[in-house]
Amino acid sequence: MKAKVLSIPVQDQEKALQFYTKKLGFLKKVDMPVGNDSRWLTVVSKEEQDGVEILLEPAPNHFEPAKVFQKALFDAGIPWTQFNSENVQEDYDKFVNLGVEFSVKPTEMGTVKFAILNDTCGNHIQIVEML
Amino acid sequence: MTFYLKEIARIKEECYSNKVQLKTIIKIRNYINSNFEKELNLDLLSSIHFTSKFHLIRLFKKYYGQTPKQYIIEKRIEQSKKLLKKGIKITDTCFEIGFESPSSFSTLFKSRVGLTPTEFQKKAIFAKSD
Repeated sequence: MKAKVLSIPVQDQEKALQFYTKKLGFLKKVDMPVGNDSRWLTVVSKEEQDGVEILLEPAPNHFEPAKVFQKALFDAGIPWTQFNSENVQEDYDKFVNLGVEFSVKPTEMGTVKFAILNDTCGNHIQIVEML
Repeated sequence: MTFYLKEIARIKEECYSNKVQLKTIIKIRNYINSNFEKELNLDLLSSIHFTSKFHLIRLFKKYYGQTPKQYIIEKRIEQSKKLLKKGIKITDTCFEIGFESPSSFSTLFKSRVGLTPTEFQKKAIFAKSD
């Protein structure tokens, strides 16, 4: 078996697509309708286009427990998903210039440096650099 | 302060309070990152940072969750993928990243990536032209 898809619950797929591609720099990989105004919509990292696909999953709109879970994580400040960064400070500066909001600025903790951003679709996302 | 930030503060206190150890182990990882294509072994890494081999393995595992050997292999495989994507020959890639024999490189690459270097390179070049 291979790990190929990672899901991020989003409240608005189109808004999420714009954020993940225009702000974070991911590329759209798969986009197909699956009924109920939902899409099977994935993006991949520009540097690793054959890597894991991120499924922008509209579960919070159709499955109440998913909505509750997402909100609980958000309120607790928990980033359920993290992306690796070559340089957190550079990415932070770049994203701030694009209007991305951060709840945690670049911070060192042991052997990592991390920062936490708001994806505007209900999630905190952590970016991490190994030191 | 959110629940997450409290947890971060707790982990920092419980796991990362020894600044000297942290400094040493980060330096060792940086050294590996800058020299992974050379012959690296525990004797060399431990002598550079005045620590014993066993302590080095223990510290590396404690702070990075992997042994130095596992980390070096991962680093070399990652670099080999970059070179293969650029179209560099498999034998040249093998020596460039510090492997001594193309056959052992191919075997290891296949076990880590799921494709042989040849298959990986073909796929990468095909995807590029797509």
